[in-house]
Amino acid sequence: MPRLTIKVDPDLCIGAASCVTVAPETFRLNDENKAYVLDHGQEPEGSTYERTIEVSEEEKENIILSAQSCPTLAVIISDEEGNQIYPI
Amino acid sequence: MRYVIVGGGIAGVSACEVIRKKDPKGEIVLIDTEEHPLYSRVLLGAYLVGKIPREKIFLKTESWYEEQKIEWLRGLHVTALDSINHHVALSDGREISYNKLLLASGCQPRLLGEDLRGVSYLRTLDDADHLLQLLREQENNTCGFIYGGGFIACEYLWIFYHHHISTTIAFRGPWFWSKVLDAQSGGMIEKWLQKNGVRVVPAVSIQKLLGQETLEGIETGEQIWESTLLGVGIGTTPELHWIKEAGVQTQEGICVDTRMKTNIPDIYAAGDIAEVKDQISGRSLVARTWTNAVLQGRIAGANMIGGSETFETVSSYSMSILGLDAVFIGDTSRKAAEEIIVEGTQEVGIAQHFIRGGRIVGATLVGRSQERSPLTKAIQEKKKELL
Repeated sequence: MPRLTIKVDPDLCIGAASCVTVAPETFRLNDENKAYVLDHGQEPEGSTYERTIEVSEEEKENIILSAQSCPTLAVIISDEEGNQIYPI
Repeated sequence: MRYVIVGGGIAGVSACEVIRKKDPKGEIVLIDTEEHPLYSRVLLGAYLVGKIPREKIFLKTESWYEEQKIEWLRGLHVTALDSINHHVALSDGREISYNKLLLASGCQPRLLGEDLRGVSYLRTLDDADHLLQLLREQENNTCGFIYGGGFIACEYLWIFYHHHISTTIAFRGPWFWSKVLDAQSGGMIEKWLQKNGVRVVPAVSIQKLLGQETLEGIETGEQIWESTLLGVGIGTTPELHWIKEAGVQTQEGICVDTRMKTNIPDIYAAGDIAEVKDQISGRSLVARTWTNAVLQGRIAGANMIGGSETFETVSSYSMSILGLDAVFIGDTSRKAAEEIIVEGTQEVGIAQHFIRGGRIVGATLVGRSQERSPLTKAIQEKKKELL
């Protein structure tokens, strides 16, 4: 299973919620109207803007689609080698 | 198979991506009025306050179109559609035939009847470059005026605030965004703006711009306001003339079903120009958001190559009014609502719940964004009882 590091830059996030719409299992809005990162709908160790999670190939594709949907490029995705997959 | 996409914004490009992925050999023609590769309109404000450099707002490179074998026709627009013979006429006189057509040409800003140096709009990257040039020209003597009480006005408030420009905001309604917000929410925003040094002038309209070649002042009824820089944000409207003439059904936008299909075979619409039969509220809705444009573009693209995907989402707008959050969720038509319940105070934020058919169909939140997710869920799940 691929491991992805998913990060939301809260300074760039404007709460458009595109990521939440496309990948609701991975993103949720907090009280400040910013997206934060989930692990399959769960929040182990609490709310965070960055998380490394194991995903299926299908989930990976959808998470990348969700990042591509963000109008402010606030979602940054890296692979397990630390290479940034999106934005590139 | 030839797919013709009218509109090079996020809806059109999202459709191109889906089509190319599933049909590597199909011909894709993208007709774009602008000359730039795809960029994020949402980032124009961040660019204008220097938060991000200009090159960072682009979502595609110049070479991407060629790499994807997309015939990118820039700086052109469609002048006519022949839906019987399946072709569109372009502004350079060419005719392009199609097997499947997507109309995703978005909206244009409503313009004032006159123009002077110092008048600005904020829809395109060229508009943003123009505003930046005006800001450079004016340096420290700028007297800012914003005309409009909606999303673009929020962008101007931020830009002017960042550039230390004295600001007056005027709008036609009795309070900010009065088509959607109630008097209490409007009052809260007005107080917030005043607290941040903005002069608020409700219930006026611009009668005349003063100045010879450059803007010197603005006349609203009996008053004259000194102004050297005017930001106009009085709404947007789609160009539907040639689309209507072709027999495509339109109201406020192009009417489509949840598969983004119009009433004419092989013609689809997506993004700001589309008016979708919303499955949650049961009404036709125009929700001109980035998220909707992405999703609708993808769905239209998938269906143009034979898919059967549907658009079903609770749309939402989110904006920051000089740091005060305002969120609109779902169907926020005051006219269509049977009841609107207002909750809260200016101290804790104000919510409106729009009720129809005994259930919540929409909501607005000013200064209380924490309720956004549960309200979105309640609307999505068609809950009868309020939270």
